[in-house]
Amino acid sequence: MPSQPVEASAPAGISAVPEPIHVLDKLWRESEAAAYGLEREQFSEILERVAAAQNFGLAAGAKATRKQEESFFRSLWLADLVLARACASGHPGAWEHFLAVYRQPLTRAAIAITGSDSLGRDLADQLYAELYGLTTRDGVRRSPLDSYRGRGSLMGWLRTTLAQRYVDHHRRTRRELPLDDPTGGYEPQAAAAETETPPAELLLLGRAIEEALRQLAAEERFLLAAYYLDGQTLLEIAPLLHVHEATISRKLHRVTSGLRKQVVRNLQRLGLSKPAAREALGADPRDLNLNLKKILQISSLDAFQEKAAPPRGMQ
Amino acid sequence: MNTTSQFDLHPDAESLNAFAEQALGAPEREQVLAHLAQCSRCRQVIYLAQQAAADAEAPAWVPATRLTTQPSAWLWNWRYAWVPAAAMAAALALVVTFHPRHTAPAPEMAKAAPPHDVAMPTSLPQERVSAGMARKPAPALAAKSVARDVEFGAHRGPSQVLASPSAAPPAEPGTFGASTGGSNAFLPSSVESAPQPVSAAQYQPEPAVAAWQQEQQRSSGMLTASTNASQVSQKTMRMEAYTAHASRPAVAASAGPRMTQQSQSVPAGSFEIGTQEQLGGSTAARKVSPPKLPSGLAAVSRATAQHLTLEIDLAGALFLSDDSGAHWEQIARQWTGRAIEVRAKTGLSGNPAPASEFELKNDNGSTWASADGKTWTAL
Repeated sequence: MPSQPVEASAPAGISAVPEPIHVLDKLWRESEAAAYGLEREQFSEILERVAAAQNFGLAAGAKATRKQEESFFRSLWLADLVLARACASGHPGAWEHFLAVYRQPLTRAAIAITGSDSLGRDLADQLYAELYGLTTRDGVRRSPLDSYRGRGSLMGWLRTTLAQRYVDHHRRTRRELPLDDPTGGYEPQAAAAETETPPAELLLLGRAIEEALRQLAAEERFLLAAYYLDGQTLLEIAPLLHVHEATISRKLHRVTSGLRKQVVRNLQRLGLSKPAAREALGADPRDLNLNLKKILQISSLDAFQEKAAPPRGMQ
Repeated sequence: MNTTSQFDLHPDAESLNAFAEQALGAPEREQVLAHLAQCSRCRQVIYLAQQAAADAEAPAWVPATRLTTQPSAWLWNWRYAWVPAAAMAAALALVVTFHPRHTAPAPEMAKAAPPHDVAMPTSLPQERVSAGMARKPAPALAAKSVARDVEFGAHRGPSQVLASPSAAPPAEPGTFGASTGGSNAFLPSSVESAPQPVSAAQYQPEPAVAAWQQEQQRSSGMLTASTNASQVSQKTMRMEAYTAHASRPAVAASAGPRMTQQSQSVPAGSFEIGTQEQLGGSTAARKVSPPKLPSGLAAVSRATAQHLTLEIDLAGALFLSDDSGAHWEQIARQWTGRAIEVRAKTGLSGNPAPASEFELKNDNGSTWASADGKTWTAL
């Protein structure tokens, strides 16, 4: 390895600034890509695609500096990325290693996700078939491993892929019975309530709540949805937000108390006096014609709009 | 934000996994979080993936790998067995070490004690050798062992006849423990029991013995007090049997000069009996003398906190004294059954709690509490 960085022509598209050659060399050696027949040029090409697809982890349109590029490359799970790409290209040694390392954990994960030994093994086998590239498109074997980009661990990616397959399969086969709604979305009381005209105060209260929920930040809406709609525990939500469960508890308390105050303010703005607004908060929730799931699913961002599998509240 | 091939506008597995593993930058994370807030399908995906990850972290298959070929595995698994084994070995060593001392001098001491010198109680006191005996200092242990040898010698074989002409009567029904006659008396564990049901009135030492006893107490009073003071600080609440106190000096006196030389430092019975005295060594000398309860019966349990002293006699009557036993007041019965134990509540340091509080137990195991010793409420 040269003692001084040697500037080399970086693969087109990574950056206008040439990447120091010793960084890619080091990453290439550390990932043991050569063991799976990946030459340095192929390795650089993979990194180029990964970086271009995610803009080095920066916001769209932002320009990455060389330091940010290097930091992004070092944050990747390069060994897993190399293995996944080698498997996708059909390298026998890579598949041997993949099976030795991931076969048992993958089956266990599938069983844990489905809650059934037979279903789990079926799910894992189906994914294996996909990963191996049994499906072809335009005569070319396609493997989902090509879509792995090394942002997280390969095992985590496999688990998430399994979960996606399971949820999508569940939704396809039981479209009238959402995963977490055994009533199938049919609520007799709500249907009956829609036919009646609610009192004016309840209409105002519904509007006030809807507006207050819309004003919440994404994390706050996620907290409310995860805790109140999905029934997740503090302990289950905490690792997703990378905070302690006590912090989740405090945040939930803050969100609900803030929500209550905002609803009162909204009611006052809609013409109610403060005592009347507070009194309106004591209304029976069953009298409200509100679909909180639907309200929480209204996002200010339009980046993701569910099409193929609409959320259960929209069904 | 990347999309999946299956659902064009959902975050793909890469983004969801990176979100769950905290591998996303702030902008991407905010974007995924906003989507998760509105998309129950993607929330469900990360819940399931998280559940599978938690399941994978459970070490269900770790033992299989650890049980393969570790040469020292059996030693590793057996390492905790060394602790009780070592403790048993130490106990065995103690027994082997002190066993000759217990047995050898007994006949000699029994011979040295003329049976007519001391009027022995009709029933020899049941010895209470606490399990903490081995923790006591060596001199005290030696003195105690000698004192106990006298009793053991008196209980066994010919020496029993010499030391106690009258056979020990069987224990009264409903009293604490049985007599430790025969071979059982030699086993410390078998003699760890409640006091012998012998009333203090039964024991009347002869005047000469009593005078000698008082002289011995005066000469060794200071040392006795200091010895007991250290023990008192360690033992907070234990039942005290005055029947044993009442008989021990007599036995010591009957052992003759040789024995008394060894037991001078600590009078026999003064530290063998568990004490709950909380006031330090000032009460140690008083322990030797039998109690003077108005009922005339020996006390089976005693508790002291602050200036209050509570004692239960053999009949189960409770007495209260606020002047260290000079005057007693019998407390009206407010509990069921027969009171067998009274204790004072202690603080974390083992000292009496600032606010005196007592607990009383009956023979059914029920407990009553009192703050002043007079009014009792069931717990």
